[in-house]
Amino acid sequence: MSISRRRLLGTFGAGAGLTLTGGLTAACGSNTGRGSDGEGGRPLLAHWYHQYGEPGTEQAVKRYADAYRKADVQVQWRPGNYDQQTAAALLTASGPDVFEVNGPTLDQIRGRQVVDLTDLLSEAKDDFNPAVLAPKTHEGRIWAVPQVVDMQLLYYRKSMLEKAGVEPPRTLDALVDAAKELTTGDVKGLFLGNDGGPGVLGGTPLHAAGLELITTDGEVGFDDPAAARTLGKLHRLFADKSLLLGAPSDWSDPAAFTQGLTAMQWSGLWALPQVKKALGDDFGVLPFPEDGAHGGPAVPVGAYGAAVSARSGHREAAKEYVKWLWVERTEYQEDFALTYGFHIPARISLARRAAKLRAGAAGEAVGYATDHGHAEPLLWTPASKTAYQDALSRIIKSGASPERELRSVVRRTRAELRRVQKKR
Amino acid sequence: MPRNLPAHHRRGDGLARAGRAVRLVLLSALALLFLLPFYLLVRNGLSSEADITSPEWTFFPGELHWGNIRELFEDPDVPMAHALLNSSLIAVLTTLGTLLLASLAGYGLARIPYRHANLVFYWILGTLMVPAAVTFVPSFVLVSSLGWISTLRGLVVPTLFQAVAAFIFRQYFLGFPRELEDAARVDGLGYWRTYWRVVVPNSRPVFAAVGTIVFIGAWNSFLWPLVIGQDREAWTVQVALSTFTTAQSVNIHELFVAAAVSIVPLLVVFLVLQRYIVAGVERSGIDD
Amino acid sequence: MRGAAPHQKSPTRRSRFGRQNRTLWFWVFVGPFVLGLTLFTYVPLAWSAYLSFFDAHNTVSPTEFVGFDNYTAMLRDDAFTDSLLTFLVFTAFIVPATYVLSLSLALMVNRLRWAQAFFRSVFFLPVACSYVVAALIWKMSIFNGVRFGLANTVLGWFGADQIAWLSTTDPPWYWLVIVTVRLWLQAGFYMVLFLAGLQRIPPRLYEAAAVDGARPGWQVFRHITFPQLRATSVAVVLLLVINAFQAFDEFYNLLSDSRGYPPYARPPLVYLYYTALGQGQNLGLGSAGAVILALIIAVVTVAQARWFGLGRKED
Repeated sequence: MSISRRRLLGTFGAGAGLTLTGGLTAACGSNTGRGSDGEGGRPLLAHWYHQYGEPGTEQAVKRYADAYRKADVQVQWRPGNYDQQTAAALLTASGPDVFEVNGPTLDQIRGRQVVDLTDLLSEAKDDFNPAVLAPKTHEGRIWAVPQVVDMQLLYYRKSMLEKAGVEPPRTLDALVDAAKELTTGDVKGLFLGNDGGPGVLGGTPLHAAGLELITTDGEVGFDDPAAARTLGKLHRLFADKSLLLGAPSDWSDPAAFTQGLTAMQWSGLWALPQVKKALGDDFGVLPFPEDGAHGGPAVPVGAYGAAVSARSGHREAAKEYVKWLWVERTEYQEDFALTYGFHIPARISLARRAAKLRAGAAGEAVGYATDHGHAEPLLWTPASKTAYQDALSRIIKSGASPERELRSVVRRTRAELRRVQKKR
Repeated sequence: MPRNLPAHHRRGDGLARAGRAVRLVLLSALALLFLLPFYLLVRNGLSSEADITSPEWTFFPGELHWGNIRELFEDPDVPMAHALLNSSLIAVLTTLGTLLLASLAGYGLARIPYRHANLVFYWILGTLMVPAAVTFVPSFVLVSSLGWISTLRGLVVPTLFQAVAAFIFRQYFLGFPRELEDAARVDGLGYWRTYWRVVVPNSRPVFAAVGTIVFIGAWNSFLWPLVIGQDREAWTVQVALSTFTTAQSVNIHELFVAAAVSIVPLLVVFLVLQRYIVAGVERSGIDD
Repeated sequence: MRGAAPHQKSPTRRSRFGRQNRTLWFWVFVGPFVLGLTLFTYVPLAWSAYLSFFDAHNTVSPTEFVGFDNYTAMLRDDAFTDSLLTFLVFTAFIVPATYVLSLSLALMVNRLRWAQAFFRSVFFLPVACSYVVAALIWKMSIFNGVRFGLANTVLGWFGADQIAWLSTTDPPWYWLVIVTVRLWLQAGFYMVLFLAGLQRIPPRLYEAAAVDGARPGWQVFRHITFPQLRATSVAVVLLLVINAFQAFDEFYNLLSDSRGYPPYARPPLVYLYYTALGQGQNLGLGSAGAVILALIIAVVTVAQARWFGLGRKED
C-alpha cells in the first residue's frame, strides 16, 4: 500500500507541474534527516528557515547550502507559525539539525535544547552588532549566530500630513494629536496592527519613555510611574477612534498604508521597497516618538539567528556548517541581507559597506536602528511578555488603569526572573 | 403530522394560508442569509484584489477573474493541489478506518454478552469528555516518538478511535432486528460472519451517515494536522488555508479562491449523501 | 420460515456460543478499538497528569517535581480563570441560541408542503464548511473593520460609523462575530436531529389534542411537541455544551495573529494551547490547566446527564 501511495503522490505532483517532493511519502520512510547520512558518507543536515515573503530568498539559501562541501544540507522552508513549530519539534527526535530562530528563548537555552556556539564566533565576535548579539548571549556564552537585523518604524504619508497641516510627530503627545487630526471618514490616522498595538509595540513605548523592560542587572525596568503615564496615552489613540482596526492585512504588510486606509502605519523595514514602489516619494519614516523628560525616540531591533539543535545527530558537523555560512562566508551574508528583502546585515563591517542602506528613507531608518535601537532582552521570557501584552491590550482597548495593570505585570515578571535566575 | 390535522381545515382557510405565507417568507429570508457566506466566498474568490478592497461595495464584481484559480494552483508557496490530495487521502483513510473499528466495537458492545461489557462501554464513553488540548502535548510527543511526525500514519492513525462513532453504532445495533441475526445463527454463522453477511449489508444508512460525519470531520480538522503535519508536503487544505492568514502579507482573492476550492469536494460528497445522513440520524438513535 | 431441523442442531451451536467463546469474540470486535483508544487517549492523558506535577519547561521528561505548584499557579492565574469565564459567557450565548434557532428551523421546515428538501439542504449545507473557511469569510469579508466589509457597508447605508468588530471590547462586538459563525456552522445539524424527532411524534397525539380543543400553534407546541421532543432536546443540549467546551478553531482563526492572542474572548483551550505549545512551552503548567479543564468537563457532563436522567435506560 505504501508503494502505490508513493507512486500516486509522485505522479500527481509531477503531473501538476509543481515543485513538490512528495515529502509526505518520503517522510513515511522515516528519513527525516536526523542522524542519517547523505551521499558519499557525508552527514545529512536538515536546516530550517521560516518563510520569508521576498521572492528569491528560498532559492538563495538553497544555493548557499548546495555550495557547502562537507555535508549534505537539506533546506526546509517553513511557512506558518514558525516559532511554535520549532519549539514543538525540539521536544522530539524529529526536529532540525540547524534552524533559524527568533531567539532562542531562555528556557530553550536552560533546557539545553540548543548547542553552545561561542567558539564559532571567536575573533569575528566584535564585528556582530552588539544590540542583537546580546539577546543571544546567556552567562557569557552565545547560543545563536545573528543573521540579519530587522527593525520596525513609523511610516507616514507626507501629502496627507501636509493637507491636514500636521508636522511629522516627534513626541508621543504630538503623535496622538496628529492621529486624531488625520482621521477622516474613510481614512484613519494610525495603524498599529489589528489588535490596536499591544502585539507589535511591545516594550517600544517604554523605551521611548526612557525605561527598560529588564535592566542590565536583571531587574524589572518599568516599575516606574512614567511607565503608566506613557502607556495611558496610548489609550487616547483608541478612545479618539484614530486607530485603524480590523484591516484585512496586519501591521507587517504595508497594504493598509499603500491602499490609503491609514495616514500613518507602524511596520517593518522590510516593507520599505513596497511602500516606495506604491507611493514614490510621498512618504517618510520616523522612530517611535519620545515621551516625558527622560524619554528618547525608540525603535525595536531584533535578529533571527542560526542555532544548532542539541538533539541533532551531527552536532559537530552542524556547528561547522553554521560557522561556514554565518561567520565565514560574508559574501553570502551580504547577499542574503540586501539582495532580496530589506534587512540590515548583522555584521557591522557589511552594514557600513551597503550603499543601498545609505540613501533616503533607508538611510534614516538605519540611523534610527543604530542610535535608538532596543532589542528584547533574553530575560524577558514569553510568560512575562504575554502578561505585559495582555495588560497593554486592556490599557489601550478597555481603558483599564495602567497603574493597576502594570503592578500585576511587575509581579509576574519578578516571579519569572526569580525562576530563571535560580540555579539548577 | 401536524399538517394533516383536521383541525387545520376546520379553521379559517385564509388564516392558515396567511400563516403559511409568512412562514415561507421567513424561511426564504433565512435561507438567503445562510447562503450569503457561500456567495461571498465565490464573489471574493473570483474578484480582482482592487474590486474586493474598493470602497464601493458591489454585489456583483464587474469582471469574473477565473484566472485566480490557475494562479492559486501555480503559487509555489502554498501547495494547494498537494494539500487537496493529502486531505482526500487522510479523509478517506480516516473514514474507512473509523467505520471499521467503531462499527465492530459498537456491534460487540450491543450484541455479544460479556460480563464487563458495561465497564468497557464507560471506558469508551469517558473519552468523550476529554478535550483534545488536554492530551495534546503528550499525544504529540507520543506520535513523534513513534517517528510519525509529518507522516500519513501520524495524521490518520491517532484519529481513528472516535468514541462518538462507536456510541452511535452501539445505539443503532441495539435496535437492530434480532430475527435477522437469529436466522443467520441457525444457519450456522458465528458472530463474525453474521456481522459481515447479515448485519453490515442491512445497515448501510447508518454507515453512510456516520461515514459522512467522520469524513467531514477529517476533512475539516485543523488542530491536529497543524501540529503533526509540519512539512509543507504534509499540509492539509485547512492548514494551507490558515497559512494565508499568518503570512507576512495577505492576498485576499487568493485566500478566498483557495477557501472556495477547499469546500467544493466536501459539498459534492455532502449533497450526494445528505439523504443518508438524515436517514441515518433518524434511525441511529443518536438522540435517544 | 425454517423447519424444526435447526432446533435439533442447537446443542452443538450452543457450545460455539459458549461463554468463553463469547468473551473471545467480544474482544475480537471491541478489542482493537479499545486498544487504540487507550493508546491514543488514555496514555497521553496519564502522561499529561504526570507532567502537571513537574516543572516541565521545554521538556516532556522533566525531573523537577513540584507537587501541586502548577495547579495552584493555574488557579491563581487571572488569565486562566478569565478563560473559564469566557467559556461560561460563550456557552450562555451559544447553547440557547443554537437550540432556539435549530428548533425553529426544524418546526418551520417540517410543516412545509413543498420545497422541504430544498430548505433542509440549504440550512444543512454549512455543516460541510470548516471552521477555518467560515472564520475567513467572517473575519475578512463580513466583519472586517474597514469600509469594504459587508457589515460596515450595511451600516454605512444607514449612516452609521464603521465598527472594528473583532477589536472593539466595549461593547464586545466580537461576541457577535464568534456566535454567528458557530450558529451558521452548526444550526443545520441540530435542525436535522430535531426533524428526526418531529417525525417520530405519533400523529394521533395531535388528533387527540384537536379533539380536546387545543389550538394549533403555541398550545400544541407546549403540550405535545415540546414534551415529545424531550429526548432529542437532552441530546442536543449535551452535545452543544460538550462542543462549546472544545471550542478552539473559530476563536483561533478569528482572533489570533502572529504576535499572539488578545486577552479577551480567550476560551480555555486557546489559553492552554498558548501556554503549553506557544513560545512559553510551559508543559507542566499547561498540563495542570488541561487536567483542571478535563475535571470540570467531566463534572458538568455527569451532572447534566444526572439532571436529565440520561443513562437510566442503559442500566
